[in-house]
Amino acid sequence: MLTETNIADKNLRDEVRSWLSENWTQPKAAALTQHQPMWGASDELKSWLAEVVAARWAVPRWPSEWFGRDLSNAQAKIIEAEFAAVKAPGTGQDRTNLWANTLLAGGTEVLKSKLIGPLLKSEINMCLLYSEPNAGSDLAGIRTRADRQGDHYVVNGQKVWTSGAMTADYGMLIARTDWDVPKHLGISYFYCPMKQEGIDVRPLRQITNESHFNEVFITDAHIPVDNMLGNFNQGWKMLQTALAYERLIMGEGARGPRGGNKKAKDEEILIALAREAGVLDEPKLRQQIAQAIAYKKLNALNSARGKADIAQGESSSLMSLGKLAMSRILHEEARLRTEILGPASMLEGSDYPRAEDANFLTFNAYLTSIGGGTDQIQRNIIGERVLGLPKEPEVDKKIPFRDVRAS
Amino acid sequence: MNKLSPEERVTLRDSVHKLLTDECSENAVRTTMETSSGFDPVLWRKLAEMGIVGLIIDQPQGGAGVGPVELEMVMEEVGAALLCSPLLASGVLAAELLKALQVEDVANRLLPTIASGECIATAVLTGQSGCWTQSGVTVTAEGDASSNEWYLTGSASYVLHGQNANLLLVAANTPDGAGMFVVDAGADGIDVASLPTFDHTLRLASISFDNVAAERINTQRPVWDAVRQALDVTLVALAGEQAGAAEHCLTATVDYAKTRIQFGRAIGSFQAIKHMAADLLLETESALSAARNAAVCLADDASNATEAISLAAFACADTFVTTAATNVQMYGGIAFTWEHPAHLYLRRARANAQLFGSSDFYRERFMQQLGA
Ligand SMILES: Cc1cc2nc3c(=O)[nH]c(=O)nc-3n(C[C@H](O)[C@H](O)[C@H](O)COP(=O)(O)OP(=O)(O)OC[C@H]3O[C@@H](n4cnc5c(N)ncnc54)[C@H](O)[C@@H]3O)c2cc1C
Repeated sequence: MLTETNIADKNLRDEVRSWLSENWTQPKAAALTQHQPMWGASDELKSWLAEVVAARWAVPRWPSEWFGRDLSNAQAKIIEAEFAAVKAPGTGQDRTNLWANTLLAGGTEVLKSKLIGPLLKSEINMCLLYSEPNAGSDLAGIRTRADRQGDHYVVNGQKVWTSGAMTADYGMLIARTDWDVPKHLGISYFYCPMKQEGIDVRPLRQITNESHFNEVFITDAHIPVDNMLGNFNQGWKMLQTALAYERLIMGEGARGPRGGNKKAKDEEILIALAREAGVLDEPKLRQQIAQAIAYKKLNALNSARGKADIAQGESSSLMSLGKLAMSRILHEEARLRTEILGPASMLEGSDYPRAEDANFLTFNAYLTSIGGGTDQIQRNIIGERVLGLPKEPEVDKKIPFRDVRAS
Repeated sequence: MNKLSPEERVTLRDSVHKLLTDECSENAVRTTMETSSGFDPVLWRKLAEMGIVGLIIDQPQGGAGVGPVELEMVMEEVGAALLCSPLLASGVLAAELLKALQVEDVANRLLPTIASGECIATAVLTGQSGCWTQSGVTVTAEGDASSNEWYLTGSASYVLHGQNANLLLVAANTPDGAGMFVVDAGADGIDVASLPTFDHTLRLASISFDNVAAERINTQRPVWDAVRQALDVTLVALAGEQAGAAEHCLTATVDYAKTRIQFGRAIGSFQAIKHMAADLLLETESALSAARNAAVCLADDASNATEAISLAAFACADTFVTTAATNVQMYGGIAFTWEHPAHLYLRRARANAQLFGSSDFYRERFMQQLGA
């Protein structure tokens, strides 16, 4: 028997499917499976995203006034499944677009009208201006200041580890707006325009020998008052929303090898590599590979169960485990790639792509175990917020920020 | 063997420490590792003058004539300072191999120039498999014993400082089993190619031989016994390097944890950091014990020396990797930068753990020594 939901679901599926078959043409698909630049989207991707946004597939769970369709999670997943089936990107941004979700959650009407569209179409590039030399895990310890002058804020301070700052048009910035209240209560959250005189971006060389993250020196930079997200001095709350999205995304995946994943067929990469190296029949290695793949599959299952919980209106503790799980997965996969290679793992360079991958991934795994909040901080969060264990005493939580001790 | 008194050992260690503090700072390492040779000839000369290059070479042949215990001790300093040099290749592996072959005229001819640092020697023992048993030998020698004219053909890999060596000691398969050959690195038919290494402080080369005239070292010992002896001494030295480096890494990280403030407290006051540090101390102290014990067993020619060396090989390799890797996590973002030394140690740790065979290989040898 067809229920009304069944009929609506079927209609929706038919609609996506026929739209995709008309619009997701072979040349577009071919152009988009090319290696994408890491910071910023290619022109082909941008023009495809523009089509997806115009057809309202980008953020189906969102309200219709913001490019959405007010759909339920279950219905949005139908759309995602159809896109995934033909490997078309662009939908599901109501889960995965950190920038747009944060903006929708806290932005002013002016800012939302100006930027949500371009964000969904990847027309503008973004970065995160959170960490400072003396405020990493302890983000509430930031010392970058924003002072109101008329219709804008004037910002001064220094940020660090800012990934993608070189190409960014805006940075999601936290700055101190009140020094006389305890540290969490005097922070505001902004969309800071990056292409202005007061912003000086200096690349840092990373252990991977790349330069994706930067130091950002901010001297009398201007931010229009409309660019504040959430309320004045309530940036900490806004930050929690943004961090939750960020950690969710980091829990679901990470950057692969530098040159793209050159794996044959659809075989698990560790199995393929062990086969290629002629060591797939070694019992100890088989056990370890099985365990590493299990970690990955179990994380995916956790994540799926967590999403189902959320769809049923329950909050899910499973979602906070993803990032920690992913950290273990990435470190373990890199370790096994090394073990499979043996002495060849001592090499690097384009003549030794397997070694290049193993070494790069060994180092890049720290992006997930340190970036976006370290594993240790993540464990504290799980212990305290999820399991309800007593909090660690925080010596500087209640005193005015002026009196807080720094490194 | 020239046994040093405890006071002499302290003096030796102090003088190496001082030399490396002065001449092998982190900056110096960074400069040296980006040069093509990957070592600093001035420092090399000073190490030779101090007797470090010829540490285990006998005194009549220009060396200091000390044993594995002093070697291990010096290597702890070498590891802590991340010294870039052909010391392990020339002063340890090649020198011990020449000693182990027990052919007096060859030793008398070659060891003095190695001890003085003028000649950089290395051993060519394996091919692309990186297998350090006799079955890993990939070079073949043709010739005949009567005229003692021999020609080498084949390609070898993972040759430590092969691109810097003047003198190659080449293991090759002959009609009568494994043989050991001496050849000038510049000889006709030799092609040396640098291998790009992830650890920039390391130099490895692949070397191909195309009908290269070579001198056979006519030892009375089975050649692979001599190779095994040289590798065992080298493993003790490497274990010392790894243990010293790991200890250094941990000390630096703990110092940082005492001064880095987050949440109004030193990060070392968080149990997460404290427990990582305590676990690593168990590892690094165990590594030091393993390396020093292996050196003593080897010096005393103890019956369990092979067992002790195998234990040190995997314990120290694993400890250095674990310590250097965990330290990056303990530092946080700062260690994700090229400018921070943490990655230099992690790179060296990963290379050291593969240099003469994997930890699994030595765990297996350990089991065999235990009778299993
Ligand atoms: C590759 C990479 C990219 C990054 N990109 C960005 C970016 O784009 N924008 C941005 O703002 N930041 C970025 N970061 C910064 C990142 O968020 C911080 O590095 C991270 O939050 C840790 O801060 P920290 O580096 O200051 O380390 P610290 O906070 O100093 O931590 C040092 C050590 O102490 C531990 N520690 C600290 N507090 C506690 C505690 N309470 N309990 C237990 N252990 C504790 C940590 O786990 C860590 O092991 C990036 C970092 C990396 C590595």
